[in-house]
Amino acid sequence: MNTAPPKNLGELFFGFLWIGARSFGGVLPWAYRTMVEERRWMTHADFTETIGLCQFLPGPNIGNASVVLGKRWFGLAGAVVAFLGLMALPFIWVLALFTLYNDFSFNPVLKAVVTGVGAAGAGLFIGTAVKLGRPLARKPAALVLIAACFLSVAVARFSLVAVIPAGLLLALLAARRNWL
Amino acid sequence: MTLVELALYFGLLSLISVGGMPSVMPEMQRFVVEVKGWLTPGEFLQAFAVGQAAPGPNVLIASLIGWKVAGIPGAVVALLAFCFPAAVLAWWVAELWDRFKDSPWRRAIQRAIAPIVVALILSGGFVIATPASPDWRLWLIAASSAAAMLLVNANPLWMLAGGGLLGAVLL
Repeated sequence: MNTAPPKNLGELFFGFLWIGARSFGGVLPWAYRTMVEERRWMTHADFTETIGLCQFLPGPNIGNASVVLGKRWFGLAGAVVAFLGLMALPFIWVLALFTLYNDFSFNPVLKAVVTGVGAAGAGLFIGTAVKLGRPLARKPAALVLIAACFLSVAVARFSLVAVIPAGLLLALLAARRNWL
Repeated sequence: MTLVELALYFGLLSLISVGGMPSVMPEMQRFVVEVKGWLTPGEFLQAFAVGQAAPGPNVLIASLIGWKVAGIPGAVVALLAFCFPAAVLAWWVAELWDRFKDSPWRRAIQRAIAPIVVALILSGGFVIATPASPDWRLWLIAASSAAAMLLVNANPLWMLAGGGLLGAVLL
């Protein structure tokens, strides 16, 4: 399959704008469809590698991906243009939707619906965690780490500023001993 | 003053958000609701719901919180503060990461991060579904949507729609 990066900043901007515009239910599948399947800016392997890195880095995964790809193709200008293209429409829509919701939130049925949507969204997080955690299920050290981290963050409500460095340090020690 | 506080706090979150936005949801809820009292637990859940239902990256919940706290400037500041520090890091690390493709340290780091990210995302789901005191109806909705996601490979919007429907019936 022949792939070619976007030819100019305009093409880059509208590509990312198009990703953001229709990313109902998650950006990643739309980013894949736009960049790999429709516009053929990059290969499947290249996409997977870039997203893999961005999932490991802190920050919004797809936001980071826009910066990394924009930089690769057009330097600083590309990074800024790709990021703005990605965020522009969703930013406006989410604020518009929230304003609309706030105007009608006195309505108890609407409030119940939105609260239900939020709980379902929380369920999607739990499903994602289970999906990601499956390969770890046979490693006792990983299960202990997950349990300890969950108890300190979700139950004891310790700050992540303390939990993440401590957890990462322990996990790194375990990984070096091949426990993970 | 609030804007500065928003910028500093979301900037800090940006740098510790391994695994992305879901990982820092418990911390954001703790700070915004419990420490600062900017939003009530219910408002936080509803802002999260709107952020999930609207198209776009889930990082936009940061802008909804910013908007609640300080209007449009707050929305812009919170979003950029959450994205910028991590973007600068990504800018520098992307090439480095490629260069150390086969280094044992890179593999160790990748393996170490996996369980932490799993625990943080799980905590995010738990904290959001438990806004104030435990409510079995919210847990039921969350559990159904998690189960549906794991059993059926459908667009997550269907799970959100189902949650809204259950919410209208149960809540």
